[in-house]
This record gives sequence, C-alpha cells and structure tokens, in this order.
Amino acid sequence: MPSMNCTVKVASPLRSYTGGAASVTASGDTVAALLADLERRFPGMRFRMIDEQNAIRPHIRLYAGTREIRHLADPMGEETVLHLICALSGG
Amino acid sequence: MTLSDTELERYSRHLLLAEVGRAGQERLRAARVLIVGAGGLGSPAALYLAASGIGTIGVVDCDQVELSNLQRQIVFGTEDLAQPKAVAAGRRLRALNPEIAVVPHAIELRAENVGTIFKQYDVVVDGTDRLGTRYLINDACVIFRKPLGSAAIHRFEGQAMTYVPGRGPCYRCLFPDATTATIPSCAEAGVLGVLPGVLGTIQATEAIKLILGQGELLVGRLLTYDALEMRFREFPFERRTDCAVCGDTPRITVPADPTALCRDEPVPLRRLSPRELNALLKDSERGGPAVWLIDVREPAEFSAGHLPGAVSIPLAELERGDWTPAASGEIVFLCRSGTRSIRACVIASRRGIPEPSHLEGGLIAWAAAIDPTLHVA
Repeated sequence: MPSMNCTVKVASPLRSYTGGAASVTASGDTVAALLADLERRFPGMRFRMIDEQNAIRPHIRLYAGTREIRHLADPMGEETVLHLICALSGG
Repeated sequence: MTLSDTELERYSRHLLLAEVGRAGQERLRAARVLIVGAGGLGSPAALYLAASGIGTIGVVDCDQVELSNLQRQIVFGTEDLAQPKAVAAGRRLRALNPEIAVVPHAIELRAENVGTIFKQYDVVVDGTDRLGTRYLINDACVIFRKPLGSAAIHRFEGQAMTYVPGRGPCYRCLFPDATTATIPSCAEAGVLGVLPGVLGTIQATEAIKLILGQGELLVGRLLTYDALEMRFREFPFERRTDCAVCGDTPRITVPADPTALCRDEPVPLRRLSPRELNALLKDSERGGPAVWLIDVREPAEFSAGHLPGAVSIPLAELERGDWTPAASGEIVFLCRSGTRSIRACVIASRRGIPEPSHLEGGLIAWAAAIDPTLHVA
C-alpha cells in the first residue's frame, strides 16, 4: 500500500526550514514516517521538534487533525493534516 | 456602590446587554486586573479593559517606550518616547477612562515579588515577551489560584489560552518546558503590527467573561491564529496529571525565577562592540590571534547576508552539541540583535569555553557602526 500524502501545517518559528512555507506536503502513514520525510527534505527541522530520545520536545505539540500525538509511532489514521505547534514567546 | 450618571452613560452599550447589565458593570468596576507586559499584547488588552470599566488595572513593565514599539504598542504615543512604559500606559488609560484606577508597577516581575503583586488582583493577563516569564506567571497563577488569560505572538501567528484554577489545564500542561527551546523574540523575528491587536483583544475578552461569569472560556483549548491565512484553529489539551505545577504531585510549589539559560543570565562573557570586534578582526589579519566568527542565526538569515569568514551554526544546532570549538583563538558569536548570541555564550560557557565573546547589538549594530552595506535579514 503506498504511503499516505499529508499536509503539514508548519509553526511560524519552524518556517525558516521550509523556505517560509506555512504548509508543505509529506508522505507517511505514521507521524514518525512523516517527520522522517520532512527531515529528508528540510534537514535539521526534525531535531527542532524531536529530541535524541525520540520524544516530542516539551515546547512542541503535534496534532493529527485535532487529535494530539503523544508518540511518534502513532498512526495518522484518517487524518490528512499534521499540525506542528510550537510555544511562542513574543508579546 | 451604584453606578453614577456618568458611568451609566459611558457604559450604556454594555448595560443593554443582558449578559452584562448594571450588575455586570458593577462587577467589572469592582474587579482588579493585572496586565504583565505593556507591549503589543498588553496595549490593546489594557485599552479595552480600561474602556470597559475594569475598576483597577495594574500594569507591570520595567522598560521604557522606544520608537520601534509604536508600530504595535498602541497604548503609547510618540510623546511617550523614553518614558517608563508602566507610567505612560497608566496616563493613557486614565485619559481614556478617568473613572478607573491604574496602578503602574515599573519593575521586573521576579519570583521574589510575584506573590505580593498577584495577590492584589483577581485576574492576570500575560502579555510578556519572554518565555521564562511566561512560566513564572503561569506557575504563580496556579500557586496563588488566579485566573490567567495568556497569549503569545510570532511574525504572523498567535496563540491564546485561558487558565482557571481547578477548572482545567495550565500553560505548563500545554508546553511543559521551554527552557531549551530556541524561539526568536519579536525583536529578532519581526511581527506584524496588527497581530497582537487580535490576540490582546481576545485576552481582554476572556478577562471580561471571567469577571462576568459569562460564556465559554478558552479553557483546555489552544486557539491559534494565522494572519496570512486569516484562519483561526482550535486544539484541545488536557490537564496533565504529571504537570510540574498543577499536577497531582506538583514539584513546583513556590514561584521560581527562570533558569539562567532561559533568562540569559550573565555568564563570564566578553561583550564586544562593533568597533572592538572590527579591531580584533584587523589585528587577526595582521597575524594576531585567530578570531572565529560563529553566526547563530537561522540559515535563511545567514544566506541573506553575513560577515566575511563567518560560519553558520544555528542556535538549535549549537544546543544539539555537534560542534567542536577551535583549539585556539577567540570565538565570537553573532546574531541579528545580540540576544541569541548571548544564549550561544551561555551554551559555550557550559561546554567549558572560559570566556566566549559576542557582538553586542548584533549585526544590526555592526551595520550601523562599521558596514552599512551589510544586509541584515
């Protein structure tokens, strides 16, 4: 079965990796696979979200649609949009 | 005390709303709201809260008004330049509505004063521009049981959430920790001037609803706003039983100042002015000690323009640790405005570099003092 194509909505502080794009496409059935695909195309981006122990960094949240992703092995299921959300500091 | 004739007229559009009415307006007048940070978010929040008749508004800010603030910090005017923000904001709010009281707190919010200040207020609005202070405010609101209207901005994007003690998750449940994050501030990344207007008015709306006991609050919901897409989204989040401050067994029971890394607290570092760095580089060219320029900005910023010979190591990569400092010579960290380069010095200091250097004022200062042709993204 071919991997699913998903839309990835990129948090503002991570857009320096995507050439400023707010929305990119990536391929994968799980969040891990999607992030690996993102890393291939946008080197360094994954490390900004995922630490050395493969845990989601504590200032980052990932949502498949509106379902929170706690583990990278989580499947995307029926969802076709992955939201990368980052704590913001500006006021 | 009942509303005066003047107040009845001033708030007449509120009084027409069944959800506010006389009783609600009297509740607003009796309420005390604290705004931390008289910046992009705090400005519209303060103006609307004052106009709405919040009886007492506290404003915490230790900075002075700068010209670059006026693109978005609408509580100030050009005549307020160099004035203490808390005082200038107070003047403007009282001019807008002399029926209310404004308490300026022209101090930096710290663990040692947060309790004394927060205890004087019913609701806290977080409009600060530092992540470390966000956690101090959140933790203090949990500990002192104060509702919190929180928002943050970056370039064209904003976020908002509301915390109500005992009713839902706190900011730490949403983002447990950000001390290792490299998130540029508005000064570094830029911000659309009108963006905080949208988020700050959401914070003011939440504060008013909290006081009135009306409507549905942003509790357990992160509201995001993308001005370029012109789209709001909503993401649910829950209280974490392991939350460090509001969890079942909290580890944070008294407010604490942010860590050195987050607060950019001083480490032994050398602050080079553009002229000092220029002299070092010229000396190096003439056979003096080597100077290693490390530009810690994002790749796109580096590509737009950088100093000759500078090496690009974005701050995030520096934190990852896959960087071996040169055996000899002086290491000088560079960034746009001199904030990220201080953080780089903190990291380098922890890696055992005795006295790392940074360019004070960043490449903006360099362009102003040494090379106006340098394009600083």
